[in-house]
Amino acid sequence: MPGLANFLDALTPLNFSFALFGVAVGTIIGAIPGLTATMAVAVLVPLTFTLHPASALILLGAIYTGAIYGGAYSAILLNTPGTPSAIATTFDGYPMAKRGDGDLAITLACLASVIGGLVGAVCLLLLAPPLSTVALIFGPVEYFWLAIFGLSLIAALSEGNIAKGLAGGALGLLLSTVGVAEVSADVRLTFGFHVLLGGIEIVAGLIGLYCIPVLIDLAASPERHLKIEDEPRGFRLYDAMRVLFGNKLNVARSSIIGTIVGILPGAGGSVAGLVSYSEARRTARPDQKFGHGEPGGIIASESANNATVGGGLIPTLVLGIPGTPPDAIILGALLVQGVHIGPTLFASQGAIVYTFIWGLFLATILMLPVGLLIGRYAYKSILNVPKPLLIAGVAFMTIIGTYAIRNNASDVAIMVVLGLAGWILARFRFAVSPIVLGLILGPIAEQGFVQGWTIGTAVGNVPAMFFGRPLSLAIIAFTLLSILWPIYRARQHRRSTGAVATSVENAPAVRRGDMDWGSAIISVALICLASVAINDARGYTDIDSVVFPVAVSIALIIFSLAVLARSLLGYGSEKEVDEGSFPRRAILVVSMLACALLLESLGFIVCSIALFAILTFVGMHERWTARTAILYAITGLVIVVGFTWLFRSVLGVPLPVTNL
Amino acid sequence: MFTRRSFAIAALATGLLAAPAFAADTFPDKSIDYIIPFGPGGESDVAARMQQPFFQKKFGQDLVISYKAGGGGAVGWSELNSLTGDGYTVMGINLPHVILQPAQKKVGYETDDLVTVYWFQFTPNAIVVPADSQFKTLKDLIDYAKENPARVTMAGTGKGTANQLAAVEFDSLAGVKTTYVPFKGTGAAMTALLGHQVMAEWGYTTVGASQGDKVRLLAVAMDKRHPLFPDTPTFNELGLDIAGGAYRGVAVPKSVPEEKRRQLSDMFGKINSDPDFRKKMEDAGFALIDVPYSEMKTFMDKQKSRDIKAAKEAGILE
Repeated sequence: MPGLANFLDALTPLNFSFALFGVAVGTIIGAIPGLTATMAVAVLVPLTFTLHPASALILLGAIYTGAIYGGAYSAILLNTPGTPSAIATTFDGYPMAKRGDGDLAITLACLASVIGGLVGAVCLLLLAPPLSTVALIFGPVEYFWLAIFGLSLIAALSEGNIAKGLAGGALGLLLSTVGVAEVSADVRLTFGFHVLLGGIEIVAGLIGLYCIPVLIDLAASPERHLKIEDEPRGFRLYDAMRVLFGNKLNVARSSIIGTIVGILPGAGGSVAGLVSYSEARRTARPDQKFGHGEPGGIIASESANNATVGGGLIPTLVLGIPGTPPDAIILGALLVQGVHIGPTLFASQGAIVYTFIWGLFLATILMLPVGLLIGRYAYKSILNVPKPLLIAGVAFMTIIGTYAIRNNASDVAIMVVLGLAGWILARFRFAVSPIVLGLILGPIAEQGFVQGWTIGTAVGNVPAMFFGRPLSLAIIAFTLLSILWPIYRARQHRRSTGAVATSVENAPAVRRGDMDWGSAIISVALICLASVAINDARGYTDIDSVVFPVAVSIALIIFSLAVLARSLLGYGSEKEVDEGSFPRRAILVVSMLACALLLESLGFIVCSIALFAILTFVGMHERWTARTAILYAITGLVIVVGFTWLFRSVLGVPLPVTNL
Repeated sequence: MFTRRSFAIAALATGLLAAPAFAADTFPDKSIDYIIPFGPGGESDVAARMQQPFFQKKFGQDLVISYKAGGGGAVGWSELNSLTGDGYTVMGINLPHVILQPAQKKVGYETDDLVTVYWFQFTPNAIVVPADSQFKTLKDLIDYAKENPARVTMAGTGKGTANQLAAVEFDSLAGVKTTYVPFKGTGAAMTALLGHQVMAEWGYTTVGASQGDKVRLLAVAMDKRHPLFPDTPTFNELGLDIAGGAYRGVAVPKSVPEEKRRQLSDMFGKINSDPDFRKKMEDAGFALIDVPYSEMKTFMDKQKSRDIKAAKEAGILE
């Protein structure tokens, strides 16, 4: 085995404690929405200047791997992926937590992450040079089709309303084009607002679309956030092992998908999780109900995203091409050290590289006890924290976290506005996940399309470019399979079970209800938005920046017309029953928005304390006593001041200070 | 005889005189925030990371790097002048970005509003091909492009960038038509080149430095050959008047006083003149330049007229 001699180097007390510390800190950072693995690694880069390179790398690697796992906590407990990699974890993780299986979900996520991480690390250790070629054979067109494959998940995520899901997906794709176009330099859909130049930050979008709706509904009713367990059940390790064993194929497949997608420099943990979720769903047994709290969904997403850690390091170390954003920082740190990356690295700097890889193994294994312990604690805290503090605390974290992504207060405002939009849309059964999918996959699809088109035109054969490459055809085949297979299987299933039933009873149950004005108004608004986008595109100077938004807008118009027709005819009109207090919801949204807008002028601390106080009142459904008031006030102060200090002094986030 | 009053005046006067000198001695007395208007891992980040340890060693304070990415740098630069002007916040700045972006569209800042205190390095444009490419020399590429108009696909970083400008200049000077394929950042363009998705790349010398013998540089856009690539000719040697690339420097908010601007300029100049630093940067493929604050106006005027002219010829600007 290569580098076995360096195994012991990785086990020095210093390296061991770095791995342990890194995993623990990484897990916590990953669990906080807005703090990503990229940022955690970036903050620690200066340490590598003074430490031994291998030890420093082990620390960075451990934090990275811990953060990817930690993202699962908030995905499961708050329906908010802590890092983009954990998006697919929310699909089944949150439903599991809702029904009281959050403990099982977190333990499963830990086991799956450890296995996925180990598979990625083994590939890095043994197969790095041959596997690195995967990064090179994937061309622009393949990225385009990969994005389309990811978008095919919309069908599964639309919660029974395909037209609305497709419209949401198109909306997400359109939103992804806001700002200065990445490859063509046109300014799109900013309407003169400078704050929109940088576009909608994906993590800000995720926090807004997933977390704010949960907060809004939490504030409205006195019910508990998660179903409480009847008696303490510990880690539920036995249950988790059993589920994992029943999903052994799923684990293996997802870990391999994660490694491969990690190798692709244009993709990343989020795409890895989505692709393996899609595959797990396609090959599901009839008793597995993905999207409704199926443990297999968590296993697929979590084993895949941790496999991207090892996978992403393959092109980073072999080719000098970072597989994921945190790898880009690790690469930069190595450059500063004077370590020259490339094909000769494994031979010339073997000691550093192999010590690092073994350190990654160590960190991944340490993630098992560390992850279980922190996970248990996270679960208990979310379960037991009083509702007012939960609401105020989570709202505060979304604000500080969103600010920290790009050190930008306008991202916070965009986050809150998107959250409100997401909540309204969700009330009329427009699922949020298709929008998120569009937001994430939009840039990959657009760049791949424009580049493929440009190269195809140069070669003189555009169709052959898109439909003539074997790898593209394979991805297209998988896309068709994952769209058509469930339909085919549903039909088979119906035929076998419904042999006696008449054809009328066989038809899908279509219930016509009243006209659905809400959906109709939303679809008209979406059509208007698409028209505005098409009009905006007339001002672009580069044809490359016109094609994609116009195509997406046309799709948005078509899907919205379908929604409009259905809602006017009264199909699929069953609405969420409105429960809970409107004023509480409104105060929550308004105060969060006000906080975002006043951050720069009033300073971070002032705004946060005010917000915390207001939201504690909003979230309080019981009678105030002097004791709770004092307790909550102190807790609030400690949380706000503590985290502000942490972000400003330790993480180096330039939070705005008061300049009155 | 000293009266109490004259003593006080004397003390005050000494204090006033000493104050600027005192400040000069102790600036910086805390860490300096260095904002990179791009994401981590790019050339701007790497260059800043290279400076970080030298800054710490020379001035005893930390250079704290943070990122404010978006809009190809425009998000950061549009906010630069609203940042605190105490000299403890500086921001990375790039050419031709800050010249072309405001000239092309409304991006929230004007070139002349940005106060650059030092330009310390640039990455020269270079045409890069894979090691096994049929193009051994630049002439091979030009000959092929003449016979097969638009067939030579060349990856590059974005549009309205140093790469695209060079591509358009090259086409018009060499009398050929190539196809420029924009990618998101050098890393993506380089991956496309190594994977043979394109035939050549408009890259920087840094690409040659990081990829070693897997790629070949056909020509570099420098006045003299790069020390790391003594065998690669410059475009000038081959009869094409192309020299330039992406420049990087540091800028400060407008409200920073002249005194501090000069001090910061000196500090970055000192880092640039450190032989260790020079070696590390050159090994990574960067080329160092020294444009201190005192020469800023002349330099910027020259760059501006040159870039705007090139962009107009390229049809990027009207």
